Amino acid sequence: MTGSQSEPDRGAPELAIEFPRKPEYVRTVRQAIAALARLHGADEDVVEDIKLAVSEACNTTLVPVEGPGGSAVELMAWAGPEGLTVDVLDADAAFDHAVAGPPGEISTDELPFERALALPIIRGLASRVAIEPRPEGGAVTRMILSLEASSG
Amino acid sequence: MLRYTPLPMDLDVETSTHDGHAVLALRGEIDVYTAPLLRQAILDLIEQGKLNVVIDMHEVDFLDSTGLGVLVEGLKRVKTREGSFAIVATEDKILKIFDITGLNKAFPIHGSVEEALGRAPAAAESPEG
Repeated sequence: MTGSQSEPDRGAPELAIEFPRKPEYVRTVRQAIAALARLHGADEDVVEDIKLAVSEACNTTLVPVEGPGGSAVELMAWAGPEGLTVDVLDADAAFDHAVAGPPGEISTDELPFERALALPIIRGLASRVAIEPRPEGGAVTRMILSLEASSG
Repeated sequence: MLRYTPLPMDLDVETSTHDGHAVLALRGEIDVYTAPLLRQAILDLIEQGKLNVVIDMHEVDFLDSTGLGVLVEGLKRVKTREGSFAIVATEDKILKIFDITGLNKAFPIHGSVEEALGRAPAAAESPEG
């Protein structure tokens, strides 16, 4: 996946959520993205995959950060021909130094065990995933999640 | 930009004992918010000396990496004390996360509590795979 600067202009997202960096908010985000997926005709198996991938991306933002931190996390989602594109923006950049890179080459060595599981799960569910530093600071996790059931 | 309020915790944990096994019946969602509740329930059992543990997840609607981390921690703790730690799960959405992470090889996963307790034979695999 190329850098965000070469991505097409997707226009206004269909879903935009800003939530505190706290565990109790992840379920709410999960339900919101599930509602969007259902709106676009995804069947329940696909909805479950999307919920899990988005939850894991949100979980990674909960890794304690050095310094004051505490910025809200933003999630934006767009539907398109490839499925749902979901961006999770983390202004506190919990792990931009550790796991930025193309799919398959993302290192989870520096993360605690359960956090290290999050990225393989996302990779197993998303058509594409990239984690990139943002020029203005922080990092964005971008996933493309199919709205169609896999044939396998 | 919408702003949401958090939903209440959605995980019930019920403990019972069968044939010398502690069975933790879970209902709801296991995620980064609720996983500490499961972790504490498992630690309580171990502290009580109940080292043969069955985690019944057939009424669990959602499981994420945080929940998996708690299960792995529980497995390690009972294994070091020569106990056992088994999972009961039947829903594809729950089994899938064990498959993706490869943890289906680490846990004995059963189709029912009866099977986990050894009262019923393991379900035969479908000839269709």
